[in-house]
Amino acid sequence: MVHALRRAGGYLRRGGMLVSIRPHRTWRPSIAIVAGRSRVPVATLLNTAFEVNLAAAESALERVVDEGSFTLAGAQAARYRIYLARPSQVRTYLELINPPRPRFPRGGRARLNAMWTSAPRGARIEVTESLIVNGLRRP
Amino acid sequence: MATTELSAYPGEGFEPRLIERFVSLRNKRVLEIGCGDGRLTFQYAPHASSVLAIDPDRPSIDEALFQQGEGGAPNIDFRLGSIERLTRPGAPFDVALFSWSL
Repeated sequence: MVHALRRAGGYLRRGGMLVSIRPHRTWRPSIAIVAGRSRVPVATLLNTAFEVNLAAAESALERVVDEGSFTLAGAQAARYRIYLARPSQVRTYLELINPPRPRFPRGGRARLNAMWTSAPRGARIEVTESLIVNGLRRP
Repeated sequence: MATTELSAYPGEGFEPRLIERFVSLRNKRVLEIGCGDGRLTFQYAPHASSVLAIDPDRPSIDEALFQQGEGGAPNIDFRLGSIERLTRPGAPFDVALFSWSL
């Protein structure tokens, strides 16, 4: 990753900007059931393997700043939400994600199914995801 | 019931708005690393001067080229490859974008 960042920096003009978009490391994806103004949290998904990759990415970005290849222009975290019609779509949704994929904590999927059974008509499943954007300027 | 098309990524326009908080892509020469199937590339490319978008996954680049053939965006140069092995990228870029690639 450090090598890739250096290479990219080599292709930038002086004053050019490197932008990194990636999932937020500590804002884990979460599942809730929403109906009208009601929002009932179900589970926070786990992805320990991927968090290792994200930590490595953060370290790489810090390293190229520390070594003077870039200056940090800023960071911006954001959340976004995806709505699913039923529990079976959650499995499909998770399969869309490149491995390593997030997974439910123990009992989480059963909890979703149980809560869905008693959810009011018109309820949806809300997946909250997050990302972080870093801007690094080439001196 | 209306739901969004299944995707693990944000809706259209979400990421470009975040990027614009750091740098405008308007009339800029952009290098995108890890462009995948061009999902994000096609969102900002109409505003950029030119885009060189690379990804090491052939099916993804093939899909991007197919989409480009269907919808235009002639200012995008999709290439199979990685930043480590990029050759002849041309003039220096204004922006390098690592889009969901670690």
